[in-house]
Amino acid sequence: MSGRLDIGALRAKLDGQQGRAYWRSLEEAAADGDFEEALKAEFPSQFEYWQTNRRELLRVMGASLALAGVAGCSSRRSDEAIPYVNRPEDAVEGRSGSYATAVTFAGYAQPVVATTHAGRPTKLEGNPDHPASRGATSLHNQAAILDLYDPDRSQAPLLKGETASWSDFDTMMAKLRRQWATNGGAGLALLIGPTSSPTLIRQLGELAKALPNARIHGFDPLEDFRRNATSSLFGRPLDIVPDLSRARVVVSLDDDLLGPGPAQVANVRAWAARRGEKVPAAERVRLLMAETTPTQTGAAALRRLAIVPSRLPLIAAAVAFHLGAGPAPEGGLSPQEAAWATEAARALAGARGASLVSAGAHAPQTMQALAFRLNEALGNVGQTIHYAEPILFAAPAGSLADLARAIAARQVGTLVTLDTNPIYAAPADLDFAALYGRVPLTIHAGTHADETAAASHWHLPLPHSLEDWSDARAVDGNATIIQPLVEPLYDSRSVHSLVSGLTGDTVQPPRDIVRATWTTLDDAVWHETLRSGIVPNSAAAPVTAAPAASAPLAYNPVDGGVEILFRPDPTIWDGRYANNAWLQELGKPLFKTTWENVIAISPAFAERLGAGNGDTLRITSAGRSVEGPAWILPGQPEKAVTLFLGYGRRNAGRVGNGIGYDAYSIRTAAAPWSAPGTVERLPGRTDIAVTQQYQSIDAEGADLVRTVAAAGVVAEKPEETDRASFYPAWQQEEPAWAMAIDLDLCTGCNACAIACQAENNVPVVGKDQVRRGRHMHWLRVDLYHAGGLDHPDTMFQPVPCMHCEQAPCEMGCPVHATVHSPDGLNEMVYNRCIGTRTCSSYCPYKVRRFNWFDYTSKAPAAIQAQRNPDVTVRGRGVMEKCTYCVQRIRGAEVDADKEDRPIREGEVVTACQQACPSNAIVFGNMKDPDSAVAKLRRSPRNYALLGELDTRPRTTYLARLSDRVDEI
Amino acid sequence: MATRQPPALDLDQSLHDVTREIGSVPLRFPAKLPWTIAFVIALSLLALFFVSVSWLFTWGVGVWGLNIPVNWAFAIHLYVWWLGLGHAGTLISAMLLLMGQDWRNSLNRFAEAMTLCAVTCAGIYPIIHLGRPWFFYWMFPYPATMGVWPQFRSPLEWDIWAVLTYLIVSLLFWYIGLVPDLATVRDRAKKRGWQVFFGIFALGWRGSAKHWERWNKAYRTTAAIAVPLVVSVHSEVSLLFASSQIPGWHSTIFPPYFVLGAAFSGFAMVAMIAIPVRHLFGLKEIVTERHLDVLAKVLLASGLMTAYGYVFEVFDAAYSGDVHELGTLHDRFLGIYAWSYWGAVLLNFVPLQGLWFKRVRDNPILLFLIGMSVVIGMWLERYMILVTSLYKDFLVSSWHGYSPTFWDWGAYLGTLGLFLTPFLLFLRFIPSISIFEDKEVLAREQKEAGRG
Repeated sequence: MSGRLDIGALRAKLDGQQGRAYWRSLEEAAADGDFEEALKAEFPSQFEYWQTNRRELLRVMGASLALAGVAGCSSRRSDEAIPYVNRPEDAVEGRSGSYATAVTFAGYAQPVVATTHAGRPTKLEGNPDHPASRGATSLHNQAAILDLYDPDRSQAPLLKGETASWSDFDTMMAKLRRQWATNGGAGLALLIGPTSSPTLIRQLGELAKALPNARIHGFDPLEDFRRNATSSLFGRPLDIVPDLSRARVVVSLDDDLLGPGPAQVANVRAWAARRGEKVPAAERVRLLMAETTPTQTGAAALRRLAIVPSRLPLIAAAVAFHLGAGPAPEGGLSPQEAAWATEAARALAGARGASLVSAGAHAPQTMQALAFRLNEALGNVGQTIHYAEPILFAAPAGSLADLARAIAARQVGTLVTLDTNPIYAAPADLDFAALYGRVPLTIHAGTHADETAAASHWHLPLPHSLEDWSDARAVDGNATIIQPLVEPLYDSRSVHSLVSGLTGDTVQPPRDIVRATWTTLDDAVWHETLRSGIVPNSAAAPVTAAPAASAPLAYNPVDGGVEILFRPDPTIWDGRYANNAWLQELGKPLFKTTWENVIAISPAFAERLGAGNGDTLRITSAGRSVEGPAWILPGQPEKAVTLFLGYGRRNAGRVGNGIGYDAYSIRTAAAPWSAPGTVERLPGRTDIAVTQQYQSIDAEGADLVRTVAAAGVVAEKPEETDRASFYPAWQQEEPAWAMAIDLDLCTGCNACAIACQAENNVPVVGKDQVRRGRHMHWLRVDLYHAGGLDHPDTMFQPVPCMHCEQAPCEMGCPVHATVHSPDGLNEMVYNRCIGTRTCSSYCPYKVRRFNWFDYTSKAPAAIQAQRNPDVTVRGRGVMEKCTYCVQRIRGAEVDADKEDRPIREGEVVTACQQACPSNAIVFGNMKDPDSAVAKLRRSPRNYALLGELDTRPRTTYLARLSDRVDEI
Repeated sequence: MATRQPPALDLDQSLHDVTREIGSVPLRFPAKLPWTIAFVIALSLLALFFVSVSWLFTWGVGVWGLNIPVNWAFAIHLYVWWLGLGHAGTLISAMLLLMGQDWRNSLNRFAEAMTLCAVTCAGIYPIIHLGRPWFFYWMFPYPATMGVWPQFRSPLEWDIWAVLTYLIVSLLFWYIGLVPDLATVRDRAKKRGWQVFFGIFALGWRGSAKHWERWNKAYRTTAAIAVPLVVSVHSEVSLLFASSQIPGWHSTIFPPYFVLGAAFSGFAMVAMIAIPVRHLFGLKEIVTERHLDVLAKVLLASGLMTAYGYVFEVFDAAYSGDVHELGTLHDRFLGIYAWSYWGAVLLNFVPLQGLWFKRVRDNPILLFLIGMSVVIGMWLERYMILVTSLYKDFLVSSWHGYSPTFWDWGAYLGTLGLFLTPFLLFLRFIPSISIFEDKEVLAREQKEAGRG
């Protein structure tokens, strides 16, 4: 060290500094050259580090620091966010917190309770207090957490593709505001995606008042015909809200009630109330479905009629005729069609006031009207169905087509696109991309720099639902305040702040804007609302309305041609989830393909074309054509071809770019759901990645998914469980964990599969690995078809680990890497596993998954932030499988231990069980005779999968119940 | 016994001729060019082996074509195949020694060497196929700090013991048998280096009566240990499959079926090696046509016994009436891997029938081709047993096909190098046919000929 310090000079120096400067030694504080020299000699690397100025260091560490921020304590909001449980001082490290909030899907709130670990949201569960969820979630809700951590999310404003700052944008806006203030917003147009946010709707109303000349348009590529139908029939737009829990008979005219969509959870919950163990046969729901593309609703139907869209009005008319509510349908029905219509009419007539006729969202207006009339005639209105004020925002200036006309007429000077992607999803006949380019100033706000962002002058990042304040209504009208769980990861701005910035000079914090909407709630109620996740008394009240006379049903036969259907993709939806790897890798519920969309054709049509799965087809409709791989879908009517929207993205991100074909490219505004067209087979083939190659059950698999006659249940013998075995019986300690899966309730929605993936850090492996049969799902939903190709029975079977008491896998492992726990879990010891894969070879259920490569360590840092810290992330070369969510069991054990009591029934809920909208999965202690799982295991329907192998599985199934008279 | 059969060796040669003929092979190598060509091929295959294994270790077992449900394919299939090839060596040497079948003496030495090389190749697979091969030693009962032991119920664990025991006993047996000949070569060596090299390994053998007495005891005892090992090792290997419940594997016929198949493929391999070796090294007086004739008969007999296994396997599945077993049987006959089943049947049993005829048995080229057909046939059989059982097991939803990748083939062809390289070195540097045992046979046969 150098010479003596000048204490006096040092004191003066420190006094002269502002703020609190920290110094570790007097020498450092003096910052004299000698000290630095000495330091440099002794710790050269550290010296380099200190040389970097702080600002630069932050920039260098960019993304990783942003994430460290997520994990660190700074991510706790300084403004109020009230925990779901009454534990505001929940800062116990290692304990997770829960917050009630919502994510949005197609504009609707999906009420969730988000789990955070150290301030980091990791998992979404349904909100048990919310009637639209009752604790359950859909696969899209489960996957929404991954979107938060999507590394391809838009991270900063872009001006013509270059990173810009918010202040640049604000400067520009200030000029525009002055201009709009003088001309009343002339030339300003807004294009808004579907939204139910009371705050946004209020803001837009205020905007319309402040700038009367501004135009507000709405765009939802999946907008259905119901709004138009109700408008013309009732004189005003109304929502049609079904209540399946009150319907004994449901006749669906191509309405996928149980399929993916914002109402899936509510509908499946309600449907399941009339299925399963405790429902007497007379109270069971009988579902009759006439549909084109096979759906989950069709799979659940007692009678499914495969029919092309153009013939659907005929069927509807026939049902009405049999009920005495209309003239006989023109044109003849096939015997099958006639039989279905007769049975549907008879069933409806037998359940007046407890039946439901539902016309699909894609059915033409006249059919919607017929369904309303039939429900009126059957006395169902107010019972199984009611009308309500529309939940989604109705744009005053009309649709995208109206905007296109306005642009063509040069009436739009500034176009602000909020949270929608018209360049990608606009109908092809609008030629919207060209029109968009003609607008002098285009501003796009979205969570991703998507196709529209690429075509816009300005792109502004929006936050994820979990990052900022907002509100939204669920399908039942109940509003949820969307409270943020984490500071925005990127430099985003809420849609509320953006809209307020169109008229106001200051950027208002979104919380204040949202709070201003709910001034009727005093602070105490506001806090309670945040805690519970539901605004009291906000459900939509039923309104009464009488339908006017409507035009008779029109039957427009499509002569000999093929009908082309456009449907949202079951997982990617309209394309909004294209960059969500979980949803990409999930097999589509009805055909198990992944990572791309297919062209669904019927077996008969495939035979005629000579096309097999994956063969390239060209679909031509109205002069436009698109090419994609064929997929033979059993149950598809012969002359219908279904295209799935949502793929062919160019600016979705690293996951969703350039996969599949873009069905929007041939979809027109006039015929958005079905259009005549032609199909030709081209040379070439795509090797499609599927998670399940074989789906048809013949003699070999007939026993896998059992069906018993509803009336004959009591006569069935209970499963024989105590066969002789060479091995000693497993000691039955308490608790003895077991799972029962009721196949009568399963709709094959796959929410369990994604919930498992989110909870257990299940990696995504990509298309090539799926093609090689290496997908990693711990829980899969098997799809089976039985019967003929044209009218198959479709069955689903969720398959987690069976946790066999006599586990073949445990016998095979040479190193004790898979062992049995005293409470009956078949456990995987990852760090003991050497990867002989004997366990998987021996497993009759093939539920084990192997890390063929290193699937986890190279995941983007953002994705790693999603991982559940309670579950080991597996490395290369080890086996993994369902653990019955052992981390949740052990967590419950700790809680029970602390209170010195046994674990209560229902205290351990597995991730799949929690997500399931139909409560098909039940988990608990089978040694407790009163537990739900023990009761189900005593059911005569209970059976073990491959029970003849005597593996004594802890996971058992309850046979499906058949309501078919001819089967009984 | 020998009196009833024609002599195995040419009676015109002297004992000294035998010594010279065999002993001179390592010292004045007769087939330098063919050997060099073969060795270059072997070394390039060995290089391929190292490249394939490095690639495998770098990225993981995912570089192979495996998946769920086909967790095991090439690695285990080749493990079984190599091990089977190796068994003939032990059978020829040890069992026939104990049974007093003198003709074995011309074949046993290189058959034993073949065993060692084949077992090494086989032993590599269970290690490299691991997801985390660097922890292979966890399968051994070493005093781990955590006190964890291997899981002794696992057929893989039995495998470790069976194969290691077999390897050690085979090595001992081969070496014990080699000692007198090493001494012979030592004594004939001109160069100091050779003298020291062979001297060390000859363990000071001087050929005293005491030496011979002790040697005889040791050799026969080891042989008596080795013979049951052949049965136990391959029975054990079959349990790797039969212990599971997978249709097509879960069968009690597996142990004898595997042992016989192993012997069958092993004899075929011996024929394949004996024929070119006797030709190239000019050892036609030592490995005579009578040897080939006997070998062909043994091949025919073991082949027919293996065929019985095939028949019984079909019967077994049909008799059980189990839908999954019948399904697997159906897939073997008509499924996408039917080529492996019918290929195995065709190559294993059709050309084999030629061996009923003496003309075929006496024709080294035909015998060589039949041996080759059997080796390939058995390769297909092992593949068939692995893949057709796994790719469609119980749950229809999990079925998935398998096709090997470049790295599957690379590792396989690489082990051919791993086999050939040491084997060629053995042919080059060590008396590949037992000198003293052949002399014993010759002496006795000459005596008997003189007498009769």
